Amino acid sequence: MTTTPVGAAAVKILIAGGFGVGKTTLVGSVSEVAPLRTEEYLTTASVGVDDLSGVDQKTTTTVALDFGRITVSPELVVYLFGTPGQERFWFMWNDLVNGALGGVVIADTRRLETSFASIDFFESRGIPFVVAINCFHGVNTRSDAEIRAALDLDPHVPMLVGDVRERSFGRDALLALVDHLMAMPVG
Amino acid sequence: MNALPWDDEYEYEDGDDGADSMVRPYTITRGRTAPERDDLTLITLLTTVPGPVDAYGAPVRPARLQPEHRMIIDRCRTPAAVAEVAADLDLPVSVTKILLGDLVAQGLLSARAPISVARAAGGADRGLLAAVREGLRRL
Repeated sequence: MTTTPVGAAAVKILIAGGFGVGKTTLVGSVSEVAPLRTEEYLTTASVGVDDLSGVDQKTTTTVALDFGRITVSPELVVYLFGTPGQERFWFMWNDLVNGALGGVVIADTRRLETSFASIDFFESRGIPFVVAINCFHGVNTRSDAEIRAALDLDPHVPMLVGDVRERSFGRDALLALVDHLMAMPVG
Repeated sequence: MNALPWDDEYEYEDGDDGADSMVRPYTITRGRTAPERDDLTLITLLTTVPGPVDAYGAPVRPARLQPEHRMIIDRCRTPAAVAEVAADLDLPVSVTKILLGDLVAQGLLSARAPISVARAAGGADRGLLAAVREGLRRL
């Protein structure tokens, strides 16, 4: 880096997954502050089913976002953003997604399908990610291979199983992401 | 040249009725719905400039500031990301960016862009990743 360090600079990691899989819990388990919440207005073009004119209507939606921070050094802060539960919103929120180091997709073994959209999103945008399987009380009744098959996960995508309420699991998921990024070919 | 938003022509009521939370968000921005600068991201870090001076070295005398502007100046004495300022002010990110843009334009606040993660050029900087890794390991 050739920029003059003036205080700290920041990077971000996205914490994604279906509604209620434990995104904010994971953010809270590793963040140095209690997760903060902010909102954004997103303008969506929606076509009403009864709109015979076919004209798009603009609708403004308020979307909430929970996030936390990890101060790595006086020069570097990592922000963790739990993406809004309804993917159709954060898909449109470029500022949330652009420039992210990568993502952690949380999935719940009892309803893996709620995290399909997050996985698709990272794949389609070429954003590196790891999958963290959240098992209530760490009880997992399915084999890793079964889960990978159900999620149609590429063999090179790292997957971890644990309980998002435990800080060590959140930490390990983030470390797995960084290791995954470091293992990617240069150039 | 357009009139600056804090010029007198944009007169506003210095309300003291404690009804701030009832104010529609874009009233705070005096009707502006888009920031004048588009380089503020969720994780752009903002720091209050101590003893700000203008291009000629003269101390900056802040033009009309709203209560929200003053809250931001207080908040950013410790560097904070756009998202954090928005959360603290309990305002939407887009509204917060407009207010932050006002202060950066007046030289009262400095903005530090996030570290760019140029994936097209072969992934994130190794030194950066090593630093992140080291920080995470301490958790």
